[in-house]
Amino acid sequence: MTEWWDYGLADLLLFSPRVYYRLFETMNTTWWLVVASALIAGLIASGLALRHGFRGNRVILVLLALVWAWSGFGFLWQYYQPINWAVPYLLPAFALQVVLFAIFAARPLPLRFGWRGDLSCYVGASLVAFALLVYPFIGLIEGRDLVQAEIFGSAADPTALGTLGFVLLSRGTWRWLLLPVPLAWCVISAGTLWVMDQYVAYLMLAAVWVTVFCGWLDLKNGVTTKRLTEAEIRDPAA
Amino acid sequence: MSEFDRRGFLKASASLGALGLLASGVPAWAQGSSDARASEVLQKKIPSTGEEIPAVGLGSWITFNVGQDIELRNQCADVMSAFFDAGGRMIDSSPMYGSAQDVIGYGLDKLGARDRVFSTDKVWTAGDGAEQIAETSDRWKIEQFDLLQVHNLLGINENLPLLFRMKDERQLRHVGVTTSHGRRTEDLIAVMKNERLDFVQVTYNPIDRKVEDYLLPLAYDRGIAVIVNRPFRGGSLTERLEGQPMPEFAAELEAKSWAQLILKYLIAHPAVTCPIPATTKPAHAAENMAAATGPLPDDKMREQIAAVIGVLV
Repeated sequence: MTEWWDYGLADLLLFSPRVYYRLFETMNTTWWLVVASALIAGLIASGLALRHGFRGNRVILVLLALVWAWSGFGFLWQYYQPINWAVPYLLPAFALQVVLFAIFAARPLPLRFGWRGDLSCYVGASLVAFALLVYPFIGLIEGRDLVQAEIFGSAADPTALGTLGFVLLSRGTWRWLLLPVPLAWCVISAGTLWVMDQYVAYLMLAAVWVTVFCGWLDLKNGVTTKRLTEAEIRDPAA
Repeated sequence: MSEFDRRGFLKASASLGALGLLASGVPAWAQGSSDARASEVLQKKIPSTGEEIPAVGLGSWITFNVGQDIELRNQCADVMSAFFDAGGRMIDSSPMYGSAQDVIGYGLDKLGARDRVFSTDKVWTAGDGAEQIAETSDRWKIEQFDLLQVHNLLGINENLPLLFRMKDERQLRHVGVTTSHGRRTEDLIAVMKNERLDFVQVTYNPIDRKVEDYLLPLAYDRGIAVIVNRPFRGGSLTERLEGQPMPEFAAELEAKSWAQLILKYLIAHPAVTCPIPATTKPAHAAENMAAATGPLPDDKMREQIAAVIGVLV
């Protein structure tokens, strides 16, 4: 008889774009102070990540852990879960991402964020800038109000997109561990947006492909396999 | 379609509907409705029990999944209010539909309409069906459902006996199974042939007509009431027809919109008991119910409706 795999993507979409984007409107107006704080946290993290020679690696990782925790609890649990029964199955992935950021922050040699000037850096910086500065305004093209903006640090899509950028801006062994959850979220969300006829779905998928490509390029060039030394941590410009 | 005489049935059903209204078919609340046409809504019999229900219901897929948003919940309650005022009774939902069950419970509370509704829901799990039904009951804030169906045949070997047991113990009034998009037709036929179902729910509209070949005649022969899901193909059918000129014969049927013409096409089929269109607009809920008033198309007209729509979409 009928099994789960009988369902198509369209069968599993159970809400309309109208209801989906109202979630952001309600969250933005109810939790505006937290939403603004999460965006500022993202802006601080991006400033630190792009500043050559700054020693704020742990601060960036802690800020990213905090925004993922807020996005998971604030958006997914409080707002998205009532209209999407699949959310409780996705929340552990957000919790895992928070734990991973915390572990990386606590390591003696955390990831090192900084400008390397290679393709991955350009792509990473573009993704961060897109998630923080462009994504909130995408809805305007579709005719939605700015109050329904999806903002980095609270809405899951720009948070995942921006995180891909931050990871590409980092170097250090095991950084790839930070990629599966945001990549998976981007794929799942792209499916949802595609069924809702939202063109931004293609941007999400493009971000996935470009991140995977740059990750492979970095692996090939030794960016991710080369261990950071104590000297490099003490002197990031080295 | 030789198992029955469609044309004869159409005439008989229209007469029965009118007679039913004069007898006990109209709920007391509808008799006092401000909408004069509510009392003219065609009633169709559930073959297994003889009980009559209005020939158009209300679906909740996507449209009622609005979460905790109080503004949208109130809009859904307005849709339910318009639906009840226009003579509707059957509201259908599923555990698969996110917050739709909660929203229906909210609307019934707000409208004080628990005595008006013909409560229709589903069990949709490969796990503990009884536990899920109890949750569904809590969400609707209702003790006994008029109809529970095994959704998309999921876990049918466990869930169907559970529903029959509930019916035997008078915890449930009717038992059914559902499919959509023409899935698992062979399995559905087997269940219809082997089990004493009260209802079956299938996808049917002037474009998706496969059920006309075998399933609808089988339901008619076996005395199984038929609920029609996706009458407007999830809204895409009426969207594509919007702005297109209506055929001249629509006026004969008193159909003022494509939605009404499609619903008339469906409820004119002798095996069909109740299509369940979903909507977010109270005016559309009333318009859908009005399709169950006035003349219905005969066989020839039904073919014309399907042909015209087939050309336009």
